[in-house]
Amino acid sequence: MKQLIRFGVVLLAIVLPRVSGAQSAADVQAGKVLFGHLCVTCHGFDGAGGAGPPLNRAKLVNAPDDAALRTIIADGIPSRGMPRVRRTLDSEQRQLVAYVRSLGRTARPASRGDAKKGTELYAKLNCAACHIVKGQGGTLGPELTDIGVQRGPQYLRQALLEPGAVLPNSTLRVQGPGYSEFLPVRVVMKDGAEVRGIRVNEDLFTIQLRDTSGKFHSIRKSNAEVIRKEPNASLMPSFAGKMSEAELDDLVAYLSNLGGLQ
Amino acid sequence: MKRFLILLFVAIAGTSAFAQVSYQRLLNAEKEPQNWLTYAGSYKSHRYSPLTLINRQNAGQLKLAWAYQMQRSGVVETSPIVVDGVMYLTEPPNSTVTALDTRSGRTLWTYTPNIPPDVIVIGSPPVNRGVAILDESVFVGTVHGHLIALDAKSGTVRWDTTVEDNKHGFYLTLSPLALDGKIIVGVSGAETGIRGFVDAYDAKTGKLVWRTYTVPAPGEPGSETWGKGDGWKTGGGSTWLTGSYDPELNLLYWATGNPAPDWNADNRPGDNLYTDSVLALDPGTGKMKWHFQFTPEDVHDWDANETLVLFDAPVNGRERKLIAQANRNGFYYVLDRATGEYLVSAPYAKQTWADGIDAKGKPIRKKGIAPSLDGTLVFPNIQGASNWFSPSYSPQTKLFYQAAREMGTIYYKGDAVYKPGTAFTGGGGRAVNGDVASGAIRALDATTGKMKWEFPLLSPGWTSLLSTGGGLLFGGTEEGNFFALDAESGKPLWDIQLGGAVRGIPISYSVDGKQYIAISAGVTLYVFTV
Repeated sequence: MKQLIRFGVVLLAIVLPRVSGAQSAADVQAGKVLFGHLCVTCHGFDGAGGAGPPLNRAKLVNAPDDAALRTIIADGIPSRGMPRVRRTLDSEQRQLVAYVRSLGRTARPASRGDAKKGTELYAKLNCAACHIVKGQGGTLGPELTDIGVQRGPQYLRQALLEPGAVLPNSTLRVQGPGYSEFLPVRVVMKDGAEVRGIRVNEDLFTIQLRDTSGKFHSIRKSNAEVIRKEPNASLMPSFAGKMSEAELDDLVAYLSNLGGLQ
Repeated sequence: MKRFLILLFVAIAGTSAFAQVSYQRLLNAEKEPQNWLTYAGSYKSHRYSPLTLINRQNAGQLKLAWAYQMQRSGVVETSPIVVDGVMYLTEPPNSTVTALDTRSGRTLWTYTPNIPPDVIVIGSPPVNRGVAILDESVFVGTVHGHLIALDAKSGTVRWDTTVEDNKHGFYLTLSPLALDGKIIVGVSGAETGIRGFVDAYDAKTGKLVWRTYTVPAPGEPGSETWGKGDGWKTGGGSTWLTGSYDPELNLLYWATGNPAPDWNADNRPGDNLYTDSVLALDPGTGKMKWHFQFTPEDVHDWDANETLVLFDAPVNGRERKLIAQANRNGFYYVLDRATGEYLVSAPYAKQTWADGIDAKGKPIRKKGIAPSLDGTLVFPNIQGASNWFSPSYSPQTKLFYQAAREMGTIYYKGDAVYKPGTAFTGGGGRAVNGDVASGAIRALDATTGKMKWEFPLLSPGWTSLLSTGGGLLFGGTEEGNFFALDAESGKPLWDIQLGGAVRGIPISYSVDGKQYIAISAGVTLYVFTV
């Protein structure tokens, strides 16, 4: 009997670590299911990113450790436009952490494009006329210094082909959550004067625009004849048909690398 | 000597700026339009000021009289009260009470209860919606679950009663309601699985007079609507907004919130009485005289706590005593307040969950509207078409004014595990916000719910409304606008940008022959006059 107990103890000692390893694998699996329900819309399949940041990376800017990642899963990052989709149980948070961390351990799919060629394209297409990277460039469009950390490659590709379809939101913290930023608006004043620009801010009685020359326009709505918002448009030209597929891949590869975290 | 003392007493009483507020004065609050004596202006909860000095003709000349910067940052949802030249308001996040001189805006006293740093506030920000006054005390409910009586002259604590244990998630955000010798309060906390109740406390001593639970125990009437399990123990039914009172019928009306867990009804099969309901209570005993449930077996967190407005009007040729509410579920309801009989309903905002309301007042629920693992898009949104923010009823126009939130939510179902003092919600939702969401101020015919006019808002707001005898309606926006509309037509007459979301609750008062409008935006209280 004593021998049997001793044998049992040895058996337990062998089995226990495996059990905990199996639980962790179960957490990753359960986390994947939850991710599909709650996170995939913004973070993409397998965490490849979309309108939300790619998560298939060893380091995550806002989640340097598991505790920070868990806090983000529990509460969202409302100031950056990430909602808490729903309240989660402690066990669900643990499972999501396990799954997201597993994404960073698997090799990131090799980018189809050549980032170095993409750098040259960025210069050749004069993207810097409207976008800032590391302090250099124009300000009509969004800053791109960290764009590879903020958006997934699919989103960036679509932004080049159909810029109006993917207007960013909740990056500037000027208007409330969910509002389209860089929204083109055309205003015709009662005296016939016309302005087209991007919306900088808006309240019930006024709207503030910035036109392509960078000039601000403060408009009292009651003085305008027409205020037309263009939700599916952008002041950025589409590059559809203006680049080869390979060039598109190269530019997306360059943009995806911006932000420094691979 | 005795005569001298009497004379001295009369002299002091006569000069004091801090006059006593008897129950008789509260009963006749409408006869003191210079003051604002209760949360909603009167027991009928009209949020209507009969004052006419600010009116359609001069509203365009409104200008700032003074402002008061609150002490801490937070969400300000306070409705000040004003008594004989003194304003009492509350400040977040620690249930602070402050008395101000209404002429100058200068502070007379301020009191902050000792709120523990680990206070549990789940389900809302740590807001406070105002104080009640009765005799020589003001009464505040606190985020750590206490009801405290303060001396109206000095802010000194007269008594401090624990309503219920905050460690279990109970907290108070509402303005208490003062009746004859009693202070009535309700609690927040359904998102932690509390069992809700309405309490009456002795105004002099702070002792509990009665408690009426909003979720029945097994064997009590209504318990059959909770299934056979123990879901009732954690059934929710919070009572987090101030009720109304009819002294002639001697009925206290109090509304109740969502069942818990909010988005998962697996352990509470049935209608879940008396959640999402209005209760008519005997104020002497707390006994329930009638109830009406707006949203049976709620799975969208559509609390029915919204302000209950009392008015009298003919319905089908017969004069009735009515009670009305623009419910969070998107429908406006009118009931007979003597009997609880359902009379009228009408949608006042976009809703996609019901095909209508049947002859008994029950919703005809659509299929496929329940929260799900991948999310289900339903209107109204998770915070409802309406919420805590006050409507207004004008006896002048006979219109019920309501800010409507036009937004959908993707509702998710999740598991719920009860652990005292932690979130017990079973899911949640993601708002479909931004440019696709909006709002409107709607003027409804109070007896039919038919819309007379609307004033569109840029986004779903949290604005309370105030109507006045000068024919005005005041409201605000999330973008910081505060404005006056013509109460008859909805036409804008005046507006100003206040630099912070308007979530305070407007009131009006007068002093030294001038009328004032008070509103909080951001963390500042602004007072306007002409």
